[in-house]
Amino acid sequence: MKQAIYGLLLYVFLMLPPVVTLLESIMSFHMHMQMPLLIIAGLLMTPFLQKKFPRLFEKWNQNGVPGILLFTIIMIYWMFPRTMDEALTIQAVQVFKFISLPFLAGVPLRDSWRKLGGFGKNVIYVSFSIMFGFMGILYVFSESQLCNNYLIVEQKTLGWGFIALAVCIIIYFIQLLFIDESEYE
Amino acid sequence: MAAKKVFKEKTNKALGVNPDDARLTLTYFSLAFIILFIGGTLGLLQGLNRAGLLELPAWFNYYQVLTAHGILLILIFTALFMVGYFYAALSHTLGGLIPVVRKMGWTALGLMLIGTAFVVTTIVMDEATVLYTFYPPMQASPWFYIGLVFIVLGVWAATIGVFTSAASWKKRNKGEHLPLLAFFAVGAFLLLFFGSIGVTIEVLTLIPWAFGWTETVNVMLSRTLFWSFGHTLVNVWYFTAISAWYVIVPRIIGGRLFSDTLTRVVVVLLVILNVPGGFHHQIIDPGFTEGLKFMHVFMSLSIAFPSLMTAFAMFAVFERTGRKKGAKGLFGWVKKLPWGDVRFLAPMIAMIAFIPAGAGGIAQTNNQLNQVVHNTLWVTGHFHLTVGTTVVLTFFGIMYWLIPYLSKRELTPKINKLGIIQTITWAVGMLFMSGAMHWVGLLGSPRRTSYTTYGDNATALSWDPYLFFLAIGGTLLFIGGGLMIYIVFHLMFKAPKGDTAFPIAEPEDGASPTPKWTERWGLWVVLAIAVISMGYLVPIVDLIFNAPPGSPPFRTW
Repeated sequence: MKQAIYGLLLYVFLMLPPVVTLLESIMSFHMHMQMPLLIIAGLLMTPFLQKKFPRLFEKWNQNGVPGILLFTIIMIYWMFPRTMDEALTIQAVQVFKFISLPFLAGVPLRDSWRKLGGFGKNVIYVSFSIMFGFMGILYVFSESQLCNNYLIVEQKTLGWGFIALAVCIIIYFIQLLFIDESEYE
Repeated sequence: MAAKKVFKEKTNKALGVNPDDARLTLTYFSLAFIILFIGGTLGLLQGLNRAGLLELPAWFNYYQVLTAHGILLILIFTALFMVGYFYAALSHTLGGLIPVVRKMGWTALGLMLIGTAFVVTTIVMDEATVLYTFYPPMQASPWFYIGLVFIVLGVWAATIGVFTSAASWKKRNKGEHLPLLAFFAVGAFLLLFFGSIGVTIEVLTLIPWAFGWTETVNVMLSRTLFWSFGHTLVNVWYFTAISAWYVIVPRIIGGRLFSDTLTRVVVVLLVILNVPGGFHHQIIDPGFTEGLKFMHVFMSLSIAFPSLMTAFAMFAVFERTGRKKGAKGLFGWVKKLPWGDVRFLAPMIAMIAFIPAGAGGIAQTNNQLNQVVHNTLWVTGHFHLTVGTTVVLTFFGIMYWLIPYLSKRELTPKINKLGIIQTITWAVGMLFMSGAMHWVGLLGSPRRTSYTTYGDNATALSWDPYLFFLAIGGTLLFIGGGLMIYIVFHLMFKAPKGDTAFPIAEPEDGASPTPKWTERWGLWVVLAIAVISMGYLVPIVDLIFNAPPGSPPFRTW
């Protein structure tokens, strides 16, 4: 319950107009801060929703695969440069961002993660590191401006950010492969 | 094999330190305190010069002295001390160093000494009078930068040694938590490693520039990479100091650990949050947007959070211990603390100094307040309070039990008394010097500047009384430093033979077990990388892609 309140507080905080303005003024902040924080708000609210609607999660996300698919689809959607542009110019898309990231990405991610087996988790690590790496290369080396609202230099920064994220996931994944946590615990 | 290892650990605990490990640490400490003596002497010269009492000769001018003082004390003394201390801690808590780690320790020492030789020689030759921040476009001799590379390589060798011993212990002790002091060692060296990446990249761009192979250098980028290291380094010393506060001090006062879990959380937070705090050193630098500076202020202040946790934990331990000894009333426990024991007094004064020091740091982190004091002696006062008092007095406090433990000797009441005199001399000296620096800084006296009256300008003349206090403080510090060096070598070679324990505090009876997730170093490393890239990607990409034409070298001396 405490977690859900923190999640809700974070969600409301992210909606405050000055916060929205600050976080959307720089491309990297928009994509690598605001969006992940929205997902984290969703992650925090998940236990409350699971308690409130146990049947829903049981019925639609029994083995975790539908949830993680929904998460992946939402993530891919928000990686299109165009969607980020539209979030800035079309109010409805902005509203969709604030609903989809916490509730259609954060919530299903947490609900699915425990249900997924080792293989499923590995698929997610690998595919997301490849995806982030590809996005990074795209943003760093693209000659033209991909987002109308942001300068090319910000695009390159975001690209390096994606590469850093991909590297983080790969390091984490490799250490999981080599270090058997259960040996230490 | 396993039984043999366990046997070795048990004998180690019963018989005290392994002589090979003791020799390694004592060599580190001897060199560290010789460096402290040289650096301290240079500090005294500077203080007397700043007060207008001493004219330095042209062949060894104020700026050379300043550069040498900074690099010897900030970089080399602390690095030598830290490696020596943590290797002793690993040797004690993990049951002796494994041979490969001991070799790493000696290799690290060799590399650091080679580096120091290069650096000191170039400074003495007046080829590297670039102050300890070595900001480009001031250009030193390439050999100065090569010396710095050797020092970093030495630190990395020591880091590998620490990680190797922790990993090997974990393999031998499946399912157990790394002992707390070893946990601190891993955290501190991890942070040092992350911090040194930026400065290594900087130095590797400066070397071809200093040789003349590249014509220009990106000044802002260099400064940014430097401070990703510079500030982290400060926190690495602080890390070293608080490892003694958490683990050693409670035992010395006869108490218990505050909480094993909280201590480990503080270590993890310090590792994850630290590196992006460096930006507040550049808060008046042009070329960054205010939004970025704001974000970095946030990161800097976030480091204050684990520090406040530390303050809370320490005072809770003091109060708890005092009450167990029968203290009454709100502050009765203060009287129950062993004020006459230098092993407690020195770190206690260090902790008390950290209250104003930390508060001053938080004030400086704010953009507007920083504008007022940035280039003044206030900043010098601040880091003499944090490093020169909080960190160094804790280091001194460690010496009174660690050296006797290593040399199988005893701390006599006489040396304890001398130690108390030393601690008080140092504290009073620092009070004068740092206090005067803070105040005269507020009045506008600049830092990094040799004595001048600016053509007898009235404002500049009004600083003189404060600068006089600065010199008095500096003299007291010199006396305190001399006493400390005497004490260190006395404890090493002259003190009576005996058994001294390595004081490690035990957890409270019935303390809740430490959760397993504290050991997930893989996750902490990844989170630290993520936080570092969050802090640095935006400015660094901007500094590279929107770079002004680079700067050719300047020689200002």
